[in-house]
Amino acid sequence: MNFDYSEEQKMLVQSLERTLAKTYDFETYRAQIADKTSHDPALWASLAELGIMAMPLPESAGGFDGDHTDIALISAELGRRLVPEPYVSNVVVAAYILGELGGDAFADDLAAIGMGEKRFAAGFYEPGERHNPLALNTKAEKSGDGWTLNGHKAVVLGADTAGAFIVSADAGGTSLFVVPADTDGVTVRQYQLLDGRGAADIVLNNVSLPADALLGEAGGAEEVILEAVDRGAAALVADSVGAIEEVIELTKDYLRTRTQFGRPIGSFQVLAHRMVDLLVEYEQAKSMSMEASVEATNENGDARKKAVSAAKAKVGAVSRKFGQESIQLHGGIGMTDEYALGSYVKRLLVNETLFGDTDYHLERYGRL
Amino acid sequence: MELSLTEAQVAFRDEVVAFLSDSLPEDIKDTQKQGGHLSKEQMQRWHKILGDKGWSTPLWPEEHGGTGWSPVEYAIFDEECYRIGAPRVLPFSVSMLGPVLINFGNDEQRERFLPGIRSGEDWWAQGFSEPGSGSDLASLKTTAVRDGDHYIINGQKTWTTLGQHGDWIFCLVRTDADAAKPQTGISFILVDMNTPGVEVRPIITLDGSHEVNEVWFTDVKVPAENLVGQENMGWTYAKFLLQNERIGIAGVGQSKEQLVGLKRLAAAEKKNGQPLIEDPGFKAKLSEVEIELRALDLTNKRMLVETERGMDPGPVSSMLKIRGSEVAQRLYELKMEASGLYALPFQPEAGDAGWNDELVGTLAQAKSAPHYLNTRKISIYGGSNEIQRGIISKMMLGF
Repeated sequence: MNFDYSEEQKMLVQSLERTLAKTYDFETYRAQIADKTSHDPALWASLAELGIMAMPLPESAGGFDGDHTDIALISAELGRRLVPEPYVSNVVVAAYILGELGGDAFADDLAAIGMGEKRFAAGFYEPGERHNPLALNTKAEKSGDGWTLNGHKAVVLGADTAGAFIVSADAGGTSLFVVPADTDGVTVRQYQLLDGRGAADIVLNNVSLPADALLGEAGGAEEVILEAVDRGAAALVADSVGAIEEVIELTKDYLRTRTQFGRPIGSFQVLAHRMVDLLVEYEQAKSMSMEASVEATNENGDARKKAVSAAKAKVGAVSRKFGQESIQLHGGIGMTDEYALGSYVKRLLVNETLFGDTDYHLERYGRL
Repeated sequence: MELSLTEAQVAFRDEVVAFLSDSLPEDIKDTQKQGGHLSKEQMQRWHKILGDKGWSTPLWPEEHGGTGWSPVEYAIFDEECYRIGAPRVLPFSVSMLGPVLINFGNDEQRERFLPGIRSGEDWWAQGFSEPGSGSDLASLKTTAVRDGDHYIINGQKTWTTLGQHGDWIFCLVRTDADAAKPQTGISFILVDMNTPGVEVRPIITLDGSHEVNEVWFTDVKVPAENLVGQENMGWTYAKFLLQNERIGIAGVGQSKEQLVGLKRLAAAEKKNGQPLIEDPGFKAKLSEVEIELRALDLTNKRMLVETERGMDPGPVSSMLKIRGSEVAQRLYELKMEASGLYALPFQPEAGDAGWNDELVGTLAQAKSAPHYLNTRKISIYGGSNEIQRGIISKMMLGF
């Protein structure tokens, strides 16, 4: 057993840390959220330059063949800095699907993702179906050589700024289609999530697509969807661990420096012990995130699902606890928009709920 | 990053399994697997078998009889022992006293006492807590007064685990009543329990067990050569002893075995005509604790590896103790819940060697409530979880 990251991985994190330290502090984040933008082209380009977009892509697409431990390291840094850019939706989830099913037809698109030039967003979930990525009401019907799609995709991460979507639809079985955002009949209702990351509801109304919009075989997409969701979930788990590390720093500092009754509030045992319980939980969350990052690409599907569900359920529960306790330990200041804590609490809530919430993963874990 | 066992670790596990399977006496395995109380004879017989193999004191330095195992190898050994049903040797001599003698004792003491610890022939008890000194251990009042080449000990120790079997007891005693701080007037001394003036009285716990005892000292005459290290330095040795306990403190092996037992119990019980284990409400509780254990297992191994490389062991032991005890207690709690009505008939001796009353319910059901009650102790002993939180907050927050 070894729990170490490689020298290359450590260097990657350092360069990402440096770039973000220079270009993306909390005030930048606040200004961006106030401006209602989830995507900054200049920041995106500088992140692409670091190679983090190309990291998980195959060499044939100009990528570095990175594994999911690379993704976890990158995601943790983005979470730590509250970066709202659509990294996970595009580079982790959509790129994986294009790599698996896109073939030659989408090779150029995959390479463009790696260079930061194109963004895709993948929509599986639907209104009224909660967290089941395979519950499909969206229909794809054969029309001439192509397909006609009707349906509604709910809260698609990164869809507010993506040029094209990958959506699941029932074409006599679960299938995946590529839908350019500007196709006739596509309505995109864009919004920001609680923490400022962007998403959209996508409504498909008699959308005509050519035959080559179908990824892989009709009816053959279930396993790819489940693995894409697991990869996304593992990345968000790592994002949460990065965010939690910052919450720990903020809360520890506050407990040490805020005085009431003439002494630092952290010297009150009733608060100190609650902080310790959070630290114990953090160590468990970190271990589970490590395991999920190693197992997210395991070819044994059950081992992958078990590790990802364990991590998503555990880190989800820990995130909720951190959100509630860190606000309480701060008191009033924790309730303000101006102080950074609240933004982390919201980031954790979003991560907890996307790609299967705690109950979904707890239940799936029990079935495996 | 590589989270699965290496080939060498798998080979090590196979070696452990082969040895345990070949050498573990059936009667000891039965009592252990049934959750009964092992007799003194059973515990000493197994300790000797491990000692003959050279495996009774694996974490000691190799020149004193350690095996040189890495923390991960030790964790593998621990898990396989529980899985197969091999009792773990008592910690008092092997994990507590041994390292203190190795680090702070003299050559005569090491030659005299280490062989009996390795073989299990000497039964050691721990004399730390007193009726008035629990979490505030440094306030202890048992005195040792120098009188020529002896000390005269007076006072009372309590919660002395399995002291009824004891040949020897290592004690913290006050040797300087006027020390500037309570901690600086304490010494560490070894007492032969057959000395006149030593009296052991049983304490029966709420699960019906006789595990713990009071030990009374009335003018007990102890040779001065039994003092360990220097006079009035005992607190330092005691702190070393407690921090040294981190390996194994998380109780992962035991909890894994309890999880297996819990699943077996929940599969046999019925709810609404279905196995309890299929019930969504129970299943969610089961999955939750299973995930907690999975996280604890990985965290335990990660922290042990990091500690070997120089990470401060203080908060590590405390964190592993807090979470390890919480997970273990939750498992015992769920076993009792899963047992339903048949958790209630009180049969504290069921499963013990030689017990042959007619059993009510299954053995697992009969043991479930006594085990639940007994294991409330694990968040209290060895420094209560609140004391552990105090240690961590001092390190993390500075108060």
